[in-house]
Amino acid sequence: MTGRAVAVTGLGLVTPAGVGVAENWEAVLAGRPTAADDPALAGNPVRISCRVPDFDAGELLGPRRAHRLDPFVQFALVAAREALADSGLDPATWNGARVGTVFGTADGGPGTVEAQHRVQIEEGGSRVSPLLLPMQLPNMLAGQVAIEYGATGPNLVTATACASGTTALGVAADLLALDRCDTVLAGGAEAMITPLVMSGFAQMGALSLREDAPESASRPFDRDRDGFVAGEGAGVLILERAADARARGAVPYGTILGHGASADAHHITKPPPGADGTEAAVRAALADADLAPREIAHVNAHGTATPLNDLAEGRMLERVLPHRPPVTSTKGVTGHLLGAAGAVEAAYTLLALKARQAPPTANLSRLDPELDIEVPAAPVPLPDGPALSNSFGFGGQNAVLVLSPP
Amino acid sequence: MFDTLKDLLVSKLKVAPEQITRDATAEDIDLDSLALVELSLVLQKELGIEITEDELTETETVGDIVRLMNVRAASAR
Repeated sequence: MTGRAVAVTGLGLVTPAGVGVAENWEAVLAGRPTAADDPALAGNPVRISCRVPDFDAGELLGPRRAHRLDPFVQFALVAAREALADSGLDPATWNGARVGTVFGTADGGPGTVEAQHRVQIEEGGSRVSPLLLPMQLPNMLAGQVAIEYGATGPNLVTATACASGTTALGVAADLLALDRCDTVLAGGAEAMITPLVMSGFAQMGALSLREDAPESASRPFDRDRDGFVAGEGAGVLILERAADARARGAVPYGTILGHGASADAHHITKPPPGADGTEAAVRAALADADLAPREIAHVNAHGTATPLNDLAEGRMLERVLPHRPPVTSTKGVTGHLLGAAGAVEAAYTLLALKARQAPPTANLSRLDPELDIEVPAAPVPLPDGPALSNSFGFGGQNAVLVLSPP
Repeated sequence: MFDTLKDLLVSKLKVAPEQITRDATAEDIDLDSLALVELSLVLQKELGIEITEDELTETETVGDIVRLMNVRAASAR
């Protein structure tokens, strides 16, 4: 994307670390974990999760609007409002036809599906809500954001499981580079902490079982990690071509210099033995940004805290980045936001570059002895340079962003 | 019956109470065709009153819905 750099001019975050960018960055830099026992998962094989705290959708969006939205869209609308205000763009005056909306989600609104399935079984199909489909369909994420802001340009939702948010940002950057639009509202949102979905993750053996100490359950790259903790929320980034942002006097957080994607084409959940797919995505992103690997100053890793992911990703980083830049998994704080993770972590990466500080990986007490990478347990200063943000999805779908300071 | 309908619109469909008057139209209180299906289900489930979405669509105001509810409630007795 050389010469076609895309500026990020607004951020909005709704995550277990808080509602708002400032609250998020404070918690991430402090390495404060958010995992806790979740009473809503009583009766489930695992009842640990990372919930968005103090999120009153009725108060934030109005009771009538909130009533007709699944939480994954509620999170996105609140994050989009913050990001737009932050960007200084005014939807009342923009040319909506030149505004695109690209979001990622892994599962849309499974909570709505589960609730209405109960109605179907217990009361019959003629009692099922007419809002079932408009609330749960994954594409409603971008649809609802566009409705809210009159964004009538290209509109789509990407589904690459846990890479969805990163994929969305890559597609959004391409739309701008190809001049399909002038502004893109991009991001990811997820609300998958439902009894059925969480049973599914538990049966796969993907979740941490550390129920005696849930706050330390999400421990990426740690020797004693035993699985991920599911999180929920949304991240929204406002993207414009860097030259356009400069022309209107916007002060960007940074730029998307490039992105890369690949498929493992190996197994539905396991990384291949050599982690070839993720390496291909990283190398493609670096080539797209026209950078040499040694120029990378920081990595926001996928780092889910599953035994397999962190070992494979760590080994891949050893090979591609032998100069050992500081690697952080912010999932130690937030848990795994699944399809929203990539968008939220791209925002954290930009904030780290802007602050010139790599945040710590929460709950890291002893690095996995099999790994030779630099994973700080406390914030470390960063040189002026670009960073990677990695996301790898079930299905073997990999997406990587190269982000740089302004 | 007006108060009963108002209570259901507020508690189940989250309509703002101050918007609900006898003269208010469906549009005034932000009820589209999907919301009228919801209202039909709510009236059936909570009050046992059968009014189809098509019948609700033909009404003009909240007052018209109340009159229809009264007729159906009386004929159900």
